[in-house]
Amino acid sequence: MKLTLTGAGVALLLSSSAIWANDSVMQAIADPGQYAIQTLDYANTRYSPLDQINRDNVGDLRVAWTFSTGVLRGHEGAPLVIGDIMYVHTPFPNNVFALDLSNDGQIIWRYEPQQDPEVIAVMCCDTVNRGLAYADGMILLSQADTTVVALDAKTGEQKWATKVGDPAIGETLTATVMPVKDKVMVGISGGEYGVRGRMTALNLADGTEAWKAYSTGPDEEMLVDPQNTTHLGKPIGENSSLNSWEGDQWKIGGGTIWGWFSYDPELDLIYYGTGNPSTWNPSQRPGDNRWSMTIMARDPDDGMAKWFYQMTPHDEWDFDGVNEMILTDQEFKGEQRKLLTHFDRNGFAYTLDRGTGELLVAEKFDPVVNWATEVNMDPNSDQYGRPQVVAEYSTAQNGEDENTTGVCPAALGTKDQQPAAFSPKTNLFYVPTNHVCMDYEPFRVAYTAGQPYVGATLSMYPAPNSHGGMGNFIAWDNIAGEIKWSLPERFSVWSGALATNGDVVFYGTLEGYLKAVDAETGNELYRFKTPSGIIGNVMTYEHGGKQYIGVLSGVGGWAGIGLAAGLTNPNEGLGAVGGYAALSDFTELGGQLTVFELPGDAPAAATTQAAATTTAPAATDASSGGAAGTAAAGAAPSDPSAPAAGLGASESTATGVVPMEPAADAALKAGGSAEEAAPADPSAPAEGLGAGKSTATGGVPMEPAADAAAGGTAPASN
Amino acid sequence: MIATTVRATAASLAFATAALAQTAAPTAAPAAAEATQAQPNRGSSTPIPEGATTVEMKANAAGSAVATGAGEVAAGQFVGVVKPTLEGLDLTPDHMENGRWYNAEGIPVPNVQNGQVDYATFSGYRRYHAECHVCHGPDGEGSTYAPALKDSVVHGMDYYTYQEIVASGKQDVNRAANLVMPAFGTNRNVWCYVDDIYVYLLARGTEAIPRGRPADKADKSEEFAAQEASCMEG
Repeated sequence: MKLTLTGAGVALLLSSSAIWANDSVMQAIADPGQYAIQTLDYANTRYSPLDQINRDNVGDLRVAWTFSTGVLRGHEGAPLVIGDIMYVHTPFPNNVFALDLSNDGQIIWRYEPQQDPEVIAVMCCDTVNRGLAYADGMILLSQADTTVVALDAKTGEQKWATKVGDPAIGETLTATVMPVKDKVMVGISGGEYGVRGRMTALNLADGTEAWKAYSTGPDEEMLVDPQNTTHLGKPIGENSSLNSWEGDQWKIGGGTIWGWFSYDPELDLIYYGTGNPSTWNPSQRPGDNRWSMTIMARDPDDGMAKWFYQMTPHDEWDFDGVNEMILTDQEFKGEQRKLLTHFDRNGFAYTLDRGTGELLVAEKFDPVVNWATEVNMDPNSDQYGRPQVVAEYSTAQNGEDENTTGVCPAALGTKDQQPAAFSPKTNLFYVPTNHVCMDYEPFRVAYTAGQPYVGATLSMYPAPNSHGGMGNFIAWDNIAGEIKWSLPERFSVWSGALATNGDVVFYGTLEGYLKAVDAETGNELYRFKTPSGIIGNVMTYEHGGKQYIGVLSGVGGWAGIGLAAGLTNPNEGLGAVGGYAALSDFTELGGQLTVFELPGDAPAAATTQAAATTTAPAATDASSGGAAGTAAAGAAPSDPSAPAAGLGASESTATGVVPMEPAADAALKAGGSAEEAAPADPSAPAEGLGAGKSTATGGVPMEPAADAAAGGTAPASN
Repeated sequence: MIATTVRATAASLAFATAALAQTAAPTAAPAAAEATQAQPNRGSSTPIPEGATTVEMKANAAGSAVATGAGEVAAGQFVGVVKPTLEGLDLTPDHMENGRWYNAEGIPVPNVQNGQVDYATFSGYRRYHAECHVCHGPDGEGSTYAPALKDSVVHGMDYYTYQEIVASGKQDVNRAANLVMPAFGTNRNVWCYVDDIYVYLLARGTEAIPRGRPADKADKSEEFAAQEASCMEG
């Protein structure tokens, strides 16, 4: 086990290139107390330098506080923390809550978009949303109906909204967005509806479209240079996509982009993967179906492609290539390399040079993977980079209306979007995986716009002749291409992992457990059963000098479909044990954030005191509170503890921002909570307040209780 | 209001309407009017009014779906609530049309003999697991957010309500739920097989077949193939 810091590329990425990236994002990421984008950092390591919670004390973890989202569907992604505010998102209807961490989680503002519920009908696999992003003082939300909204982080005021797709033809958004420099990257979902995938870059300033790069089609629409865009070191040539499809099938050919995005500020390249070609019936789309199932590296300024690597040409199993690209600087065969590691649905873990797209490692990260023997690694072979498909498991070779059985992995993939983590201390990747196989029978389907366009019947079951469970949580060496350890799980691990400087790795399970394991050994150190199954990603932050762990519960997503009733008949006796059990025997629907802490106060010498950020709302800044506080007289409740709470009223001129309760109501509610929260100190300045002012003149997110109480008034909504 | 919407939808979709007329058979349409009574449990053993047309039937059935289907079908399926079976549903195969089995009232039914399923039931298995299972779970067992249809078809949702919901969709959107069933009336991959999916679910709901892929199936008849080709290409 290497314990050197050769993998400390994370820090390098963060420190050396701020001039290239979005400064506000870089600053926010550089403060380990915050959680500014879903992937934790641009490199997608999901590694936090926080270390108060460590392998020695994580067993003492306890619940600090909880928050119900009010929505009972699959909760993916994680909340953000910027300064003293936490931002929580929900599945459709995609509500956003800004919670005041200095004030017992009181809701500062909330955003409730109005979307046509018809969009739910074209979301293939639950109404999930993988979370918010932060940039330039704005919270960026990707709504199911493909509207991207920028909200003022302090007030919730809508700055701009841009719709990048059309749900009437099956286009939706489930992925988070990634702000880069002066733009924000937006994907598209709908591979099961024949949607033509593309990445859309919007200008952060006003939401206008900067560029759009399709995954398929003519060169100019893919933003490729036939001579300079490469595939495994060679120019892709002209019409590289059109030549790989029959007729116009590419127009309804998928290649959607719904996973995670990463960015290397030094190379100035963004990375992401494209999804399955449509339909699932391979016989209806002869050819390699480029550039579905492809890792893409592009210039964020103009979208021009630097290199591609197609992992699964002519997909026959629905092995979308959208999973995250984790960027690390590590030693490979005696040489320091800029690497990209990707755990694909198809069961292979790829390590590439992220500057050139050179393929370095491609090995199975679950030994049961059987659809291909290997990926050809000989640059002189005409098969270079291609998986060597086993005829028995080829649904294309077996043909339409034939049931191909025993394919591993199932269409879920050995791993779906739930992101892995990387620790530079161990040089290991921590990967949530599925351990499920399938039968797959393709057949002919007709295309109707806005209707499912699938074309195959699937039957999935736990990997035969194994431990009977449907998942593993593994530690992976991306240089050797080897599993270091593997923890069997009853269900697929559908939660994103988090690694920390405390030598602990966290992940959630579909039964609802938050688990903490030793980063070196995998030994379980802690578990707690949250109210519902976890498909969200574990996050961490620091507030008041104290480290917290947070995770969303709320079972659903694709996992909730296949596993709710159990994948197979428990009496079929395929040699399994508990793995066949139905998830419904273990958990129920939910929608809750659970935040964990260690007992006691923050350490006297906080190890990673959160730096003051220029972006965080000044929760304790009383300078301008008085103006708003005196704006309306006559609303002062008689209870002396209530005036402050009455400030919960929020002005809501911005479309979609839902007003808080009338002042009197809010006073009653918040007054009560303020008393509970701070019985010993009635004058606690932060208690009971949460006024979100969402007019354009905003900038006064909160007024301290002392000021408001002194004024004896509460602002009325106007 | 909803009936109006449904009528417009059905009328505008010549394809779906034609397919409905084709699959429902003349004797079936009048029974659909029974669904207007919002008594889906009574099944098909009811008097047959004269003169109901296909489009009216759809509209009426929609009312039924809203009145009874929403609560019955959507609630509590995640944990498998036990409900009484659909009374009066005659599961006896009586005659074949287009290679599919129907009972004496013209309701499609599965025909399972010594473990061998008729081709329509197999076809229903296959189409279900392409079009329906991504929400309704494997083998009609339900998911975290969509009901177990194998139970619905024998516990409260009659054939006409089923057809109506498949054709026109259904919504249960409020503070506590965000459930939306798409309208598949224009989707050939669903609508050309709507009876097949129904008999497959009946076979599952009555335990005539176990979970998983049917082990043995009858051959696809020429009549079935001809009707399938006509529908898929139409």
